[in-house]
Amino acid sequence: MVGWEYPPFQTGGLAVHCYELTHALAAKGVEIDFFMPKTDSEIEVEHDAINIVPVTHVRHGAYVTRQAYGPDFFSDLHAFNNAAADEIAKRCKAGACYSLVHHHDWMTAFAAMKAKYALDLPMISTFHSTEYDRAGMFPNEYQLNIERQAMAADDRTITVSNYMKRQLVEKFGVDEKKIRVIYNAVRADDFRKHWEVKHGREKMVLFLGRLAEQKAPAQFLYAAKRVLQIEPHTRFVIAGTGDMLGYLINLSISLGIGEHVTFIGYLPDDQKKLVYAKSDVYVMASVSEPFGITALEAMASGTPVIVSKTSGAAEVTPHKLSVDFWDVNALAEKIVALLRYRVLSDTLGKAEFADAQTLTWDKIADQTIQVYNEVAKG
Amino acid sequence: MMTAICFYFQVHQPVRLRHVSLFDEPKGGSLYGRYFDDELNRQVFNKVADKCYLPTNALMLKLINQHQGKFRISYSLTGTFLEQAKRYRPEVLDSFRALAETGCVEFLNETYFHSLSSLFEEKAEFLEQVRMHTEELHGLFGLTSDVFRNTEALFSNDIARLVEEIGYKGIVSEGYETTLGWRSPNYLYSVRGCQKIKALLRNYKLSDDVSYRFSARWWPEWPLTSEKYATWLASSPGQCINLFMDYETFGEHQWKETGIFEFMEHMPGEVLKHQHIEFMTPSEVIRENPPVGEIDVPNPISWADMERDTSAWLGNGMQRECFRLLEGMEQQVKEARDSEMLHVWRLLQNSDHLYYLCTKSWADGDVHKYFSPFSSPYDGFINYMNILQDFKRQAEKA
Repeated sequence: MVGWEYPPFQTGGLAVHCYELTHALAAKGVEIDFFMPKTDSEIEVEHDAINIVPVTHVRHGAYVTRQAYGPDFFSDLHAFNNAAADEIAKRCKAGACYSLVHHHDWMTAFAAMKAKYALDLPMISTFHSTEYDRAGMFPNEYQLNIERQAMAADDRTITVSNYMKRQLVEKFGVDEKKIRVIYNAVRADDFRKHWEVKHGREKMVLFLGRLAEQKAPAQFLYAAKRVLQIEPHTRFVIAGTGDMLGYLINLSISLGIGEHVTFIGYLPDDQKKLVYAKSDVYVMASVSEPFGITALEAMASGTPVIVSKTSGAAEVTPHKLSVDFWDVNALAEKIVALLRYRVLSDTLGKAEFADAQTLTWDKIADQTIQVYNEVAKG
Repeated sequence: MMTAICFYFQVHQPVRLRHVSLFDEPKGGSLYGRYFDDELNRQVFNKVADKCYLPTNALMLKLINQHQGKFRISYSLTGTFLEQAKRYRPEVLDSFRALAETGCVEFLNETYFHSLSSLFEEKAEFLEQVRMHTEELHGLFGLTSDVFRNTEALFSNDIARLVEEIGYKGIVSEGYETTLGWRSPNYLYSVRGCQKIKALLRNYKLSDDVSYRFSARWWPEWPLTSEKYATWLASSPGQCINLFMDYETFGEHQWKETGIFEFMEHMPGEVLKHQHIEFMTPSEVIRENPPVGEIDVPNPISWADMERDTSAWLGNGMQRECFRLLEGMEQQVKEARDSEMLHVWRLLQNSDHLYYLCTKSWADGDVHKYFSPFSSPYDGFINYMNILQDFKRQAEKA
């Protein structure tokens, strides 16, 4: 498997995904060499079948803030992909007998493609997002190209939702017979509901995510403005950071709701769990969300969620409220209903909590192995 | 001994709700217009009238005339159906009147508003709604019935006793194993705690073969022919085979293209080829047959979902909260002495509003979804609760 990051080294959800997936696969007897950029962090795995192989060093600054792609970033990226492919080939020569190469997202696609063509290995890509999700109307042609090539080279392509599968078919022209949908999972036990912490007079509505257009934080504030007209004792919490932070602070002030909005920045895991548990409503109204793991985390916390119809998370449970990302009025309406009608938030929260328990990494591993068996050599 | 084939068709249209937001004062001049979507109701009614009511009534009339009194059926028309028929398509009412005049059709009584009022703590409202329905039917067709059918076949010892007290001799319900055990639904039963009332229980297997499975390609018996079905009926022993289903089965749930009309057209003839079976209405069945045993139903049953209980309408907290809220307003609404307000309160009791809020999954969830105008039960709850809250405020003002 070729990946971009692995805990404790992480910049986004990809590291957690790779960690949980490799461990769940290893528990089922799959042996994995995991190729990734060399980092300063000490990486530990809890299973003998997982072997982390760090290759070449990607310059640290660019690697950490993935948004800030500089010219050096791309040359580093190529250097990493080449080195990873070379390392795979070297290990094959030395007797390693790989059944397939599986990689995640565009950053690692070249290494996988090289391995496929040079060593005749079946190739699987998991796409957690595409350039269309990340950049909206103005995708970077360079990254799109890499994604197109990877999808063309794939023997199987895994997407994290049907929503994303449709995107691959419609925008990238991928043959849908080749695509398998495997959702994300959460460790539900980590998000135990603290039912008792929710009795403050002031109700709390949470936004958690990168402050970027894709996640629609401005719509969250416009909806907040509307909610506050009839539910004044409500706090809107924005957790996360990103390019739009300054803009959003100004927006909250110009909407006249500054005192009801709290920006709490990027949250470490333990605080994140507490914030989920304390919130009365979790809003993930993204413009485009291939999956949206945060919605699943909120569900596991027993906090009712409002998700956008353009999100993969909307597919995993019938127990949800969903909105069009642009429909601020509908979003406000549903927030108020959840704040006002206790029986609604209880029924929804409990049903979502129960559903989150069923989405396990163990299940994800089974589905992944099924895809492996479809293409594996030997 | 002859076995009766007893058809009873449920004819109902809910009064669908408007979208009512918490942010804006509801529009619509009258209290009725404030909550009910007249345009949507008109559209749906016209669609179903064209696809089901008019063609099926014409077919039934033809069959009755053709078989000269030997083809006999029964209906239950809800008050909310009748109101919409009057308002949107009077010819539908005329076609039922034509059926009534044949003397081969019985119209059962139920709650006018297709409500769950039989589950209220206080029973006065239930009795009032039954009285309203009886009067309406008598006014329209000049007919009365000895048989009662409660909303969605809701039934219990207590409900049967209540219905017996106001003079009914028969009551229809579901013939499910939890009630019957090893016993067959094809017989009349007395009810524990009642004097004489007889229960007619639905043969759900033979009923669902038509209403649910008729067009199901996964079903080994597909396609179902009139001849085959008549053979099944002829080989089912008992006093009466009770085939109870939604009337919208014809042309609406089962589209015309499935062949449902051709099936119905030939079925009476095929049935009458067998010497030992005949068609009868529910009142005729209870007049001619004694009960063979007793059923004991302490907790309410119904004909809905796998559970056959009240969980389709009162299974989750959201449903129970809305139900209790409405129930709790009875005194306030009645004391306001405002006939429109009283009528709207009753229309809001339409059981369909609660049915849309059901959160069960699997196959039954799909059935709920098929009928629901909302994208999820949670959205359904928000709208219904917004309306109930607004209505409560209006009632408090009055």
